[in-house]
Amino acid sequence: MKTTIVGAYPKISDEHQDLRRALHKLDRGELDEAGIAGVLDDTTAWAIGEIESAGVDVINDGQVRWDDLLAPFARAWRNTERGPLERFYDNNTYFRQPVISGAIESDGQTLVADYRKAKALAKRELKAAIAGPLTFATLTAEDKHYKTLEARTLAVADALAAELRGLKAAGATLVDVEEPALSAHPELVDLARAAFERLAKAGVQLALYPYFFPNTNLIQALGSFPVAQVGLDVRSRESSHKAIDRLDAVKQTVVLGVVDARNTRVETAREIGELVDAALKKVGADRLWLSTTTGTEYLPHDVAVKKLHALTDAARVTGGVR
Amino acid sequence: MSEILLTTTVGSFGKPDYLQKARNANARGKLSDAELLDLEKQATEEWIRRQEQIDLDILVDGEMYRGDMVAYFAEKLEGFKIGGLVRSYGNRYYHKPVIASKVSRPKPMTVDWFNYTQSLTDRPVKGMLTGPYTMLDWSYNEAYKTRRDAALALAEVVRQEAEDLERAGAKYIQIDEPAIHARPEELDIAIEAMGVVTQNLKAKTISHICYGDFAAIYPKVLKLPVDQLDLAMHNYEYRWLELFDKDPFTKELAIGVVDVHSHRLETVDEAAEGIRKGLKYVSADRLLPHPDCGLKTRTVEESLDKCRIVVEAAKKVRAEVGRTAVA
Repeated sequence: MKTTIVGAYPKISDEHQDLRRALHKLDRGELDEAGIAGVLDDTTAWAIGEIESAGVDVINDGQVRWDDLLAPFARAWRNTERGPLERFYDNNTYFRQPVISGAIESDGQTLVADYRKAKALAKRELKAAIAGPLTFATLTAEDKHYKTLEARTLAVADALAAELRGLKAAGATLVDVEEPALSAHPELVDLARAAFERLAKAGVQLALYPYFFPNTNLIQALGSFPVAQVGLDVRSRESSHKAIDRLDAVKQTVVLGVVDARNTRVETAREIGELVDAALKKVGADRLWLSTTTGTEYLPHDVAVKKLHALTDAARVTGGVR
Repeated sequence: MSEILLTTTVGSFGKPDYLQKARNANARGKLSDAELLDLEKQATEEWIRRQEQIDLDILVDGEMYRGDMVAYFAEKLEGFKIGGLVRSYGNRYYHKPVIASKVSRPKPMTVDWFNYTQSLTDRPVKGMLTGPYTMLDWSYNEAYKTRRDAALALAEVVRQEAEDLERAGAKYIQIDEPAIHARPEELDIAIEAMGVVTQNLKAKTISHICYGDFAAIYPKVLKLPVDQLDLAMHNYEYRWLELFDKDPFTKELAIGVVDVHSHRLETVDEAAEGIRKGLKYVSADRLLPHPDCGLKTRTVEESLDKCRIVVEAAKKVRAEVGRTAVA
């Protein structure tokens, strides 16, 4: 069983606040774009180093440059921009809602430079990530171009597919698709699947993460998504573990979210072990990875580190490969 | 005080530079708590005078002594510990509290500030609390087995505080629940917890709700046991009002008519139009114009400008509906 991490890593710690200070300086005009780029690079190296030190097998770059899940795309794509501030699902975390003013166009290079930098730093297997098409489309504040949610979602999927082709050309072999809208709106599962069919045409392996909300009733449908991995939170809510009972419907590799990235209580090895044991009754060890439930940026840095160690320690106890 | 379209604000205002510097100095141990308190009182009085000068009807203390609306209470309650920094958006971080053990209230948390602020003015000052569901949702829960258990425990300490505020003379008590729509499936918990808080209160009770999918909790949120709902509307282009076509709004409505997260200053006409939209659903004696949310992310000058627009817009619409302000 491999371990992996999902989403954004804390950008600062109590001790490491270089990025926070640099962004304040940028706001005051005391730092230029080259200066902030250097701090972002350094912070990315710090995040990757920490994730690797915790022993995570398949890492990401911590998404240090991402203001929020949608920001890189809304900022880079033609005819999209970042609009009003809104709460990000059931978090006390906020994001800028996209505004669409015309047909979305992407050059497919939005994440490529960052991925290459991270690749040069990473000592372990590195994966990339994109926002889910349904998430981008349903969180859009204003759309002056597409007439329906379906048209918007599929257009976003096409733009994301271009990003996937760019990432693939840069060497990415696995890309997380963070799609909380799917668990928030399970009634849109058919539209989400159609969007994923477009993503799959990019020819890179995808991992689908419908995090935040219960997905027990989605599992059957997720089995038919054209993805290599499905990430499922089995920890964060009082009923989350029930998803394990339905894991036999998932034909892809299951990335079991066993460490709650939205609560500070650190899981014991026993608690994680019980979830893993239950999952192994439904899925072979060769198709089971372990991960956090969502991005660790929802935690203070010190707790995020402890959580990653809890994850990797539990994987070691339950047969993880080092 | 005006008898219709009473103007108010949601709670927080921008802190003056001298207070920001003092708070930073206090955090670094360079300024004593007593010295900081003097400056917080000075800033509070300045905000009371500004609110009076621009003719707001129902005042707030401006929360010069608070950083975050949950952390402030968490620091004063037993059972909480203050966690590390967590990003809220952009480059803004806060210390997200942790419910580490059973919660209790050793002593009143806001009553001294209410007494001080009310002593500065003849206009009513709102008692300002954070609701139990939001306290739960914006904290990490390590202590209680279920979220309902935690919410009800928090409701008990908020009830104690609210009743103390009422005993101190508060005629308006605002118990904010901006997280109430975070998990619509838990709305019953939020309603049950608010019932604990307001069960014995005679004061007018208010709950502020903002930044989220209000449609997901409407109309059931009308069961929240408070007299007035205080809603961000301008930021949503007033679309929540359309919900009231199907299910009529049954409480007093404090309506947000200026955006608090934009440097752009709305015009009086723009804010007045927002009030007129509200009047289609709620009568003027039950409609209270205000900014969408607290103004703590704005500068003092921006806060003041936004409030001035609200007041001027309310006066304009009052004149249109044929009733003038009554002192």
